[in-house]
Amino acid sequence: MYINENSKVIVQGMTGKQGMFHTQIMLNYGTKIVAGVTPGKGGQQVHDIPVFNKMKEAIQETGADTSIIFVPARFILSAAMESLNAGINMTCIITENVPVFDMIQLVEKAKEKGLFLIGPNCPGMLIPDKIKLGIMPNNMCHYGDVAVISKSGTLSYEITKAIGNSDIGVSAYIGIGGDPVRGTTMQEAVAYYSEDPKTKIIVLIGEIGSDEEEKTAELIKYNVSKPVIAYIAGKSAPEGKRMGHAGAIISGDIGTAKGKIKALKDSGVLIANTPWEVPQVIKEIL
Amino acid sequence: MLILRGEDIEEKVKGFSFPAIVKSQIAIGSRKKAGLIKIAKSTNEAISLCDEYFNRNIAGFQVEAILIEELVTIEHEYYCSIALDASGRQFYLIVSKEGGIDIEDVSKERPEAIIKLNFSYSTGLTENIARAAATRLGLLGTSLQLGINIVLKLWEIAKKLEAQLVEINPLVMTPSGLIAVDGKMILDDDAEFRQPIIQNLQERKLSDLEKLAKKAGFSFVELSGEIGILANGAGLTMALLDVLSELGLQPANFLDVGGGASKERVYKALDLIFKLQPKAVLVNIFGGITRCDIVAQAIIQALKDFSDAPPMVIRLTGTNEKEGVALLKEANIDVIQDIMGAVKKVKEVLSE
Repeated sequence: MYINENSKVIVQGMTGKQGMFHTQIMLNYGTKIVAGVTPGKGGQQVHDIPVFNKMKEAIQETGADTSIIFVPARFILSAAMESLNAGINMTCIITENVPVFDMIQLVEKAKEKGLFLIGPNCPGMLIPDKIKLGIMPNNMCHYGDVAVISKSGTLSYEITKAIGNSDIGVSAYIGIGGDPVRGTTMQEAVAYYSEDPKTKIIVLIGEIGSDEEEKTAELIKYNVSKPVIAYIAGKSAPEGKRMGHAGAIISGDIGTAKGKIKALKDSGVLIANTPWEVPQVIKEIL
Repeated sequence: MLILRGEDIEEKVKGFSFPAIVKSQIAIGSRKKAGLIKIAKSTNEAISLCDEYFNRNIAGFQVEAILIEELVTIEHEYYCSIALDASGRQFYLIVSKEGGIDIEDVSKERPEAIIKLNFSYSTGLTENIARAAATRLGLLGTSLQLGINIVLKLWEIAKKLEAQLVEINPLVMTPSGLIAVDGKMILDDDAEFRQPIIQNLQERKLSDLEKLAKKAGFSFVELSGEIGILANGAGLTMALLDVLSELGLQPANFLDVGGGASKERVYKALDLIFKLQPKAVLVNIFGGITRCDIVAQAIIQALKDFSDAPPMVIRLTGTNEKEGVALLKEANIDVIQDIMGAVKKVKEVLSE
C-alpha cells in the first residue's frame, strides 16, 4: 500500500512555516502524525507533537512508516535520502524546484530499497475520510471508487471537488507532481491503481510536456481493463513557452495536448473536454 | 578566436588567416540552417559577416559573441550526446554515424541510424558502454580510444554541471583525428544555487514584463488577448486558458502566482497584470498551500491603490475560503464560487 488510515506520519520540516500550517490541517483531517523531524530542533513540540533531530530516532520512538517533506529545495536530497535510508515506506516530497539530478539519485535509492517516493512539486495524496498526506484542500470529496491521478495540483483540486460535488466517491487522490523527474510516474500510479480492489474507475489529469501520458496510454492499451477517463490541459498553449511547470514545454510533436489526447483515445481512454466535464463522463460509465 | 559584442572586430579579425569559418554564438539550435554559420574567404568578408551577425535578432535571441575558427578537412561527421530520459529516470548515450545535421530528422526518418545506450546515474557511463558506442561508430585504433575518452568526458561534464543534455554535433573525423566542431548543453535552472555556470548566464527570450515576473517569483507568459489572468497552479491556469479560448475569449497572459503566495506576491502579480491594460481581469484561485484570505487581502489593497484598475471577476475557493470571501464582501467586492459562472461573468463584462 502507498498509505492507509493506519499510516503513522512524520513531517520533515515541521518547525517551518508551511510545515507547521499543514501539520495542523492534516491533523484536522484525522491523519495520524506522530513526529516531526528538523535537524537541530529536536526536543521541541509543534501542535503537541514531538520533534526529533533524526529520522531513525523518530521512527524508533513512534513506529512511523510514512513521511511528508516540506524542507527547502536545496535540502531535499539529504532529507529524502535520510527518510529512504531509514526505511520509510512512503516518502512524499511537497517542495518545488528540486534539482533534477537530486531526484534521479532519490528515485534510484527508492527502487534499490523497494520503497515508495512521490513528488516533488506535488500536492501529495489523499484517501478521502481516512488519511491526508499533503496540502490539498480538506473538503474535496468523500470515499468511494474513483482513483484520481494527476500531474497538476490545483487543477486536480478543481476536478476532484467537481467529482465530489456530483456525489461520486474517490478511492484515492494521487498528485504525482509537475516536475520532469518524478518519484512515482503516471504509468506507475496507473498500474498500481489498476490492481487496487477498491478502485473501479481511474481518472487521469495530464498536461502538455513530457511523454508520460503517451507511455501511460501504451500501458492502458495492453494492461488495464478498468475504465480510464482523462483530461489534458494546455490545448491552447503557445509552442516553446514555459507554462509554469518545468515539465510543460512543448517541443516538436512530443508532449502536445493533441498528441496526448490521440494516444489516450487510441488506447480506449474517454476524454473530457473541460475539467468540469469529468464527473459527467464518470456518470456515463457508472 | 572569440569576438565579444562591443569588441573591436577589425583589430581581432586582422590577426587571423582566411579562409576560416565564422560562427554566431547564440542560444538557439540549427544555426547553420538559419545562416548563422558561414565561411569567410577574406578578412573583409569576415568583418562584414561579424557586423551582420551582431545586428541580427532571432526569436528574441541576440548573437552574444562570434567564434572564428580555422577550416578543418571533414572526412566524416558523427553525432554524440548524453541526454536525460526524464520520465524513464535514466540517461542515454546517443551516437550516430550521421552527424552534422538535425538529429531529430535522422531519428524520425531512419531511427536505425541512431544508437541509444541507457545507463543509470549511480552506475554511470562505464568504459564498456563507451567502447560499445565508439565501436558501433566504426572507429578504429587511436580514433577508437579517442572516441571512448570523448564520450566518458561528456558524462563527466553532464554530472559536474547537472546538464540534461550534453551534445557534440558534429564530431568530425579529420586527417589528424577526431575534433568536436560544435556543441550544445541544456542545464537545470533549479540547480542554479550551486552551479556558477548558470548564475553567469544572461536572461534570454523574456519580455520586460516576463523578467519582472521572474524576479517576483511567479510564472508569467505574455499573450495577445484582452483578459488579464491571475490564477494559481500551472495546470489549472492552462485549463482556464483552454476554456476561455474555446469560448472565443482571448487571455492577455498566463500567470501562475505559485504555491503559498504571500500578500506581496499576489499584489505584485496584479500590478503586473494591470500593466498589460486588459479590459477585464479574471482571478481564479483554488487554495491548497495558497490561502484565500491572503489573496483577498492583496486584491483589496490593489483595488485601493489602483483607481484605474479594470473590472475584476473573482473566484476564490479552497484553504481559508470563508475568511477570504468574508474579507472581500466587507470591502464590497463580489466573489463567484464556481468557475463557469466566473467565465460567463467575464464575457458579460467584456460585452458591456
